[in-house]
Amino acid sequence: MAADSEPESEVFEITDFTTASEWERFISKVEEVLNDWKLIGNSLGKPLEKGIFTSGTWEEKSDEIAFADFKFSVTHHYLVQESSDKEGKEELLEDVIPQSMQDLLCMNNDFPPRAHCLVRWYGLREFVVIAPAANSDAVLSESKCSLLLSSVSIALGNTGCQVPLFVQIHHKWRRMYVGECQGPGVRTDFEMVHLRKVPNQYTHLSGLLDIFKSKIGCPLTPLPPVSIAIRFTYVLQDWQQYFWPQQPPDIDALVGGEVGGLEFGKLPFGACEDPISELHLATTWPHLTEGIIVDNDVYSDLDPIQAPHWSVRVRKADNPQCLLGDFVSEFFKICRRKESTDEILGRSTFEEEGREITDITHALSKLTEPAPVPIHKLSVSNMVHTAKKKIQKHRGGEESPLNNDVLNTVLLFLFPDAASEKPLDAAASTDNNNPPSESEEYNLYNQFKSAPSDSLTYKLALCLCMINFYHGGLKGVAHLWQEFVLEMRFRWENNFLIPGLASGPPDLRCCLLHQKLQMLNCCIERKKARDDGKKTSTSDNMTNTYPGNAGKARDQLGSDNPKDTDKEKGEVGKSWDSWSDSEEEFFECLSDTEELKGNGQESGKKGGPKEMVNLKPEGRLLQHGKLTLLHNGEPLYIPVTQEPAPMTEDLLEEQSEVLAKLGTSAEGAHLRARMQSACLLSDMESFKAANPGCFLEDFVRWYSPRDYIEEEVIDEKGNVVLKGELSARMKIPSNMWVEAWETAKPIPARRQRRLFDDTREAEKVLHYLAVQKPADLARHLLPCVIHAAVLKVKEEESLENISSVKKIIKQIISHSSKVLHFPNPEDKKLEEIILQITIVEATIARARSLKAKFGTEKCEQEEEREDLERFVSCLLEQPEVLVVGAGQGHAGRIVHKLFVNAQRAATMAPPEEDLKRMGSPEERRQNSSSDFPPPAGRELILRTTVPRPAPYSKALPQRMYSVLTKEDFRLAGAFSSDTSFF
Amino acid sequence: MDEDVLTTLKILIIGESGVGKSSLLLRFTDDTFDPELAATIGVDFKVKTISVDGNKAKLAIWDTAGQERFRTLTPSYYRGAQGVILVYDVTRRDTFLKLDNWLNELETYCTRNDIVNMLVGNKIDKENREVDRNEGLKFARKHSMLFIEASAKTCDGVQCAFEELVEKIIQTPGLWESENQTKGVKLSHREEGHDGGACGGYCSVV
Repeated sequence: MAADSEPESEVFEITDFTTASEWERFISKVEEVLNDWKLIGNSLGKPLEKGIFTSGTWEEKSDEIAFADFKFSVTHHYLVQESSDKEGKEELLEDVIPQSMQDLLCMNNDFPPRAHCLVRWYGLREFVVIAPAANSDAVLSESKCSLLLSSVSIALGNTGCQVPLFVQIHHKWRRMYVGECQGPGVRTDFEMVHLRKVPNQYTHLSGLLDIFKSKIGCPLTPLPPVSIAIRFTYVLQDWQQYFWPQQPPDIDALVGGEVGGLEFGKLPFGACEDPISELHLATTWPHLTEGIIVDNDVYSDLDPIQAPHWSVRVRKADNPQCLLGDFVSEFFKICRRKESTDEILGRSTFEEEGREITDITHALSKLTEPAPVPIHKLSVSNMVHTAKKKIQKHRGGEESPLNNDVLNTVLLFLFPDAASEKPLDAAASTDNNNPPSESEEYNLYNQFKSAPSDSLTYKLALCLCMINFYHGGLKGVAHLWQEFVLEMRFRWENNFLIPGLASGPPDLRCCLLHQKLQMLNCCIERKKARDDGKKTSTSDNMTNTYPGNAGKARDQLGSDNPKDTDKEKGEVGKSWDSWSDSEEEFFECLSDTEELKGNGQESGKKGGPKEMVNLKPEGRLLQHGKLTLLHNGEPLYIPVTQEPAPMTEDLLEEQSEVLAKLGTSAEGAHLRARMQSACLLSDMESFKAANPGCFLEDFVRWYSPRDYIEEEVIDEKGNVVLKGELSARMKIPSNMWVEAWETAKPIPARRQRRLFDDTREAEKVLHYLAVQKPADLARHLLPCVIHAAVLKVKEEESLENISSVKKIIKQIISHSSKVLHFPNPEDKKLEEIILQITIVEATIARARSLKAKFGTEKCEQEEEREDLERFVSCLLEQPEVLVVGAGQGHAGRIVHKLFVNAQRAATMAPPEEDLKRMGSPEERRQNSSSDFPPPAGRELILRTTVPRPAPYSKALPQRMYSVLTKEDFRLAGAFSSDTSFF
Repeated sequence: MDEDVLTTLKILIIGESGVGKSSLLLRFTDDTFDPELAATIGVDFKVKTISVDGNKAKLAIWDTAGQERFRTLTPSYYRGAQGVILVYDVTRRDTFLKLDNWLNELETYCTRNDIVNMLVGNKIDKENREVDRNEGLKFARKHSMLFIEASAKTCDGVQCAFEELVEKIIQTPGLWESENQTKGVKLSHREEGHDGGACGGYCSVV
């Protein structure tokens, strides 16, 4: 390769390659490659099966070689065949002609729908191509071409390789190849003619036959018959009255700002243009013999309607504009924007006049206000309205990115409770009950880590998507988000629950934003319960908001003592009542305590443990079955306890990190336990308050019953007595339980320090929301959008029932759930998912387009319709579909009609006129088939077996393929000759 | 130390109070047994690196308290776990009967559905067995879990249990890939290119 570095002084070498020319070196390289790939010798495969070129797998191997400094790539293309066959026939076949020469005559794979051009032209199953490596390079001059061909010839001769070897000459786009195949005593030359203009005499069969025969130059008379295969291809571009059935949404109306037909929460679907651009009809005469038909410059027997084989393919529009795909990818683009909400909207909104700060202080003072009564009378819609006004005022004359109508529609869609004039509590609480849908589709959020499809988060994602696409893009998104955050603050300040969120602690299976909103709702719920408690002195409706855990405890234990419930309610109501919020430690005011005492005395049975302890029992929830305190036999009460703090995943992450950081040492473990003992301590204090005079044993019997071990012992009097004691592990001196027990003071839950500071948590959430940039927001919500898009394609697919699409959707789902489960999915992977969704959308759009074009719906006969549907779905999935019954079949008639209509329109014939013979000049030959335009392509394959070059030579395969299109004429000939007897 | 670690796995140990969750963990991580181990409060945490089939995996094992009251707290730690060890005490049938509750809880709180579950029947060294090995096996089969009986005291089956679990997790594709690994599953591109080495069908004609 490196010619220049070759030393010239090695005179003493016996074998001296130093003076080898570039040409010799090139040839030896070619031989080397052929040897490397083990292409030497003949090995006959099975005869080619019908259609194997399409159904089989093609593979290729490449290498690079150089002629001086000109680089060539060598590529071996081959059809993958079962190797067992090959090896079985490895015996030396002396006089058999090479496989490739035999394949020249094989008629099973004429006109393959998809194949390398050399396969199309020569019917080869295996070949090697040497082509300039760089795309722009070309071998142009005739002498160079000859030189290359000679190299090939020599290489084949030297190695005994029987695989045809081609060299590509001229510019690449011309696809000019010359080549050679050598066998024992035989050789096939592959030659080619490529012209832009078709010489008139070769536009028909008879002219081509003349060339073929003269090229063979066979000395025999009469010449053996030539077999002929013909295919004409017709292209239909003009679909006429079969308009693209998809009615694209009235984008203009939307852009114009009219909210009329627009529905938030729905995703658009379908292609905006016809995703099927062309239909190609191939009419084939697979097996004709010379003399059976006539096709010359004045007359032709080749009527496409009469052709024995019809096959159809459709050309799909490249990347048709698809609404859903565009929608999602536009939304995805937001993820890459860097601007903050303020930067996008201008800094006027929040920061001006320190508005945010005043808001917060205002919020705090509001909480401490004695009676925010009037709020009850207002509806949220009023509030939203005023909030918005505030913003608009702040923005001054500047036009807001979203117009009012759109914004109102969106807000109403997101917060349907704002529309009702009912008191808000009721509306909000009904909204909280999500339909417990168990369907796989509903639970998709679980896999995608998005949010339930009926949740606020999900709806918000769809709205932002819509706004981004139709209403103001990024600015609109920022605007809506700002409104949303304002609404959240408004709801927090005014104790309105956020609709569309499942109640309870944040669902960790959902996206973080959803968890944050749920967290905010938890805060609102607690604050509301507290505030309501303040206002309402009676206890009746309090059970509604009663926290879940205590309720659970009652379910388990309290069924057998209904007597207590009244009292409980009273107590519960009280306890929430007194949870004021902004102080860390808080105490009941005097009057409250008095009242409580009175309560307790009235409803308390048996007088209470007056003489035992000076403490009054407080914060009792219910009696614990039949258990009694160990030392005095008083009933054991389960106390009202504090709810554990709800957590979002980021808080949880933080906390587990802190806990994990403590390490695995004993001290670390101890510290960790201590950090988590707040809840235990709180429960112990509540327990002590509810059960004056109790011991740790009593507590353990409620809290960890297995750590109280009871044994039957026979006492001194011979009676069987149950004797219990703490388990060994509880008795370890100064273990955490004992320690906590000793520190615990009898304080009921309501007077304890709060484990969960809802005010602080709510402000944290609100701050978190406020600082989210549109990009962050888009990242939060992308899983929801992908979720929605997948549901959409699923829904659309179910109307069309396309099996291949079903499979891809399944793949998308499993792929997405893998990608979206990781905290920061790579953009590339997300893009891939979106691309897949778009592909599915386009496929469905294509199916619809084809169904409309072929009128599957209109087809009345059940059987025919089924056939037609099958035909249409094949068109989508296979490169080429055979039309059953050719021109006479049902599908064939429809295709024929499509062409007739297009023809009629092309010649401007009035539509009511019956189809008549047009007789346009180009069609003078094919009078009978004027329903069709002139064929876009005519392919002919001529084959025969004759002795060449002398009459006594071996009879060898000869073949010529020709293709004629409007601007292209190509003849590809393979002419074999006997190299021994000539 | 982390250099040759293939992945970090989060493993959770759950089950009724007093079945020996912390003891199992202590046996596995420190190879010790303490008959008087204090009842866990909230969650505890231990780390151990083990090697399975030549793959080193760092295990972050979260030990949870079994008490009813703590259960409202601990499910938060289920999040992101790749493996769960569900423990019962073979000498106390009630701990076995409660397994269904634990599975329900797992189903509710686990963030992923391909998580690997292992059932461990602990305390087989004790005389007064109440749950037969076959019952455990049956339960595990019914809920497609791994199953082993073990004793934290005598060390039987403990190492094996953890190793088996880790191996299974590593064999489950998509369960443990960390985000810096880019060998994600490729969707097949069904797009039919009009380019490439083979010239698509009619390119020569039309």
